[in-house]
Amino acid sequence: MSFSTFTTPTGFLLPSVHSAPPFFTQQPHPGTNVTVTERWTTLILAYARHRKLFVLRVEDAETTDTEWLEVLRNERINRKLLPSYLSSIIATMVSKNLATYDPPGQTRSALLYWRLPEEWAEVLHGWAISTGQLNTILTFYEITDPPIPSPLSNIPITLLRKAIAVLAKTGRSQLITISDGEGVRLFQGTGK
Amino acid sequence: MTLRRCTKSVDGTIPIPALLYNDEELLSSQDGVGIYDGIQKSPNHQLGTIHVTTHRLFYISTQHEATYSFALDLSCVSQTDHYAGLFKSSAKVTLYISVPFSASGDAGSNDGPDTPFESWECQVCGYRNPPGLSPAAARVCGLCGISRDSVPAPPAASSSPPLSSSLPASSSLPSLHPPWNSPRTHQRQPSAIACPACTFLNHPSLRSCEICATDLPLVPALVVMKSAPSSRPASPDPSDDDDVTASRIIKISFRKGGDKAFYGVLRTALKSKAWTVGVGSNTPASGEAAAGDSSRSGITGILRNVESSAQGRATDMTDAFQDLEALRIKARDMVRFAAELNERLTASSTTAASALSLSDDALIPSTEPEEATFIRSSLSQLGLEMSNTPVTLDMMKDERRWIEQLARELASVLQGSSSSRDTRGMMKERGIIALDEVWGGWNRARGVALLPPTTLLQVIPHLGACTTPTISMRTFPSGLSVLHTPPYSHVAFAARLSGLLALSGPKTTTEIAREEHVTVGLAAEMIGAVEADGDICRDDEACAIQGGGAEVRFWGNIFHGSVWDGQPITNDV
Repeated sequence: MSFSTFTTPTGFLLPSVHSAPPFFTQQPHPGTNVTVTERWTTLILAYARHRKLFVLRVEDAETTDTEWLEVLRNERINRKLLPSYLSSIIATMVSKNLATYDPPGQTRSALLYWRLPEEWAEVLHGWAISTGQLNTILTFYEITDPPIPSPLSNIPITLLRKAIAVLAKTGRSQLITISDGEGVRLFQGTGK
Repeated sequence: MTLRRCTKSVDGTIPIPALLYNDEELLSSQDGVGIYDGIQKSPNHQLGTIHVTTHRLFYISTQHEATYSFALDLSCVSQTDHYAGLFKSSAKVTLYISVPFSASGDAGSNDGPDTPFESWECQVCGYRNPPGLSPAAARVCGLCGISRDSVPAPPAASSSPPLSSSLPASSSLPSLHPPWNSPRTHQRQPSAIACPACTFLNHPSLRSCEICATDLPLVPALVVMKSAPSSRPASPDPSDDDDVTASRIIKISFRKGGDKAFYGVLRTALKSKAWTVGVGSNTPASGEAAAGDSSRSGITGILRNVESSAQGRATDMTDAFQDLEALRIKARDMVRFAAELNERLTASSTTAASALSLSDDALIPSTEPEEATFIRSSLSQLGLEMSNTPVTLDMMKDERRWIEQLARELASVLQGSSSSRDTRGMMKERGIIALDEVWGGWNRARGVALLPPTTLLQVIPHLGACTTPTISMRTFPSGLSVLHTPPYSHVAFAARLSGLLALSGPKTTTEIAREEHVTVGLAAEMIGAVEADGDICRDDEACAIQGGGAEVRFWGNIFHGSVWDGQPITNDV
């Protein structure tokens, strides 16, 4: 009963536990279930970081045309994660502040925090410094879809707002409302 | 022609109460009625009053009381029908006549004074029965209760051939007005009867010769010859033949209403069957009539058949239960006797061997005399083996000792007693057994003096002291309680299961059950308990991408102590 790791076509190294059939079953024993759910949380966040995925939906366990396919299913052992279990995993992640329901008020879709908003704030600030865009007004579009790919490429607006809000607390950002949308101005940082 | 054959004409000028028998009672009357004979109107009976009594139905014509009034015995009414009437058709009550009353043709003819209105002397006790009773009541002596025709009446037999033999009921009818009866009362005084064999002159009331016991010729019989024509059936009616098969019905048409009330009274009168009262000692004749009754076809006949067969079955059943009861009482005696015998044997053997343990039956063997062994083996062959004698509360002095004794008994049921050679306990082969099965098996082994489950539960805590290896009870989360030997305790099973899974890979519940020699349900409970400890985990086939049933395979806990060996987690981008 030794399981081996597996490298997916996208270059992600799946842990050995992913090839154990019980991994895909929601365990009735609470202790075991906590362990398995933790494994899943780690796996999901690692894969999200690897593929730069921000959103995980319960539907991802139901369809086959999803970016999550190679994690949520294991064709080699004929096992897949059931939507009910995925839903409970997401709930656990939300409760641990590793994800948040987005849009709020439902439990089918969640924004994954493979970086916490605080970490994203630092990434944003670092990016602005490195690209010399401090003190200039940037639209959200300029941040999420810059000409030169950045770590912030494709970041969901919700997450970006949270990061900006974190920076604003330390006086390093200012949210500006302009005619055709919103913008942000980032500062060197006084409080630091 | 039904009307003429079944009814007796009465003198309507006499008030009804005077027409009644002594034991008859007038129930209801209704005027303004007409009579249908069969389905046609009877022209002479179109306006009159109908009276229903406990025995008879009287029709008294309004215009010609003396000539067209008649009486109908309720005993010949087999069935009734009520028709409520429609528009101009008035309400009618239909009477179905069952007993072919052909012999009463003579009664119907103007024979005037009826025989029932005559006193008679009982053949047995000599009591002179007063006249005026209904025919049925008149058939039985009012003093001694002996039926009037239970005394053989040879002359009746000799004079009966002329009576149509095709009509069974006719044989019962002569009793109403026996042919020899009326003439004989006149002939009583004259003379003695000479015996045809020895010529001895016998007293006229004797039936056989006082000397030689030869049957005496009945003098009145000779006399009867003269009056015979009057008692013979009237010359057959021309329309009689085709009427036999035709429906014998009489309809009463209620021109002035009152039909419902009348019908109700009529039905109760028919149901109460007042005319059968008093014929307790059923004469063969009435029995025959009953037989004729039961062979009647139609729904009534079927219902009666069903009723009688149900009654028969009920009687059989009661008998059978009585037998069973008797058997039970006998069996109890038998068991008690066997117990006594055994006790005595045990006592003698224990004193002989000066046994160490007092109440153990196991010590009998070697020192026992030949005959004791024989008795014992006979007893055991009878299923009364005393090592299995049920322990009952009255055998024990106090409850605690009783429970202990029961525990010992249960232990022997479960593990087999050491004394009996081939009896195997319920748990000899199995290490775990559900409590309900234990209870059932124990009571089956006891046979008598069964125990309630509460007692079983009281006994179980004491079981451990009486059993080797120790049997203990365990209750699963589902509420299922079992008795088990040490190898089936939770810890032992969990260890064994983990080992099994580690050794031979994942297993389904069924496979584990087979491995452990327990039922699937029991295995599921035990596995559930192990899983609750977190020692194993499951793989549900419902998670399969393709196919997949509902089967669950159990694995050892593979997550325990496993570490992350997937994509290295880096914080850099």
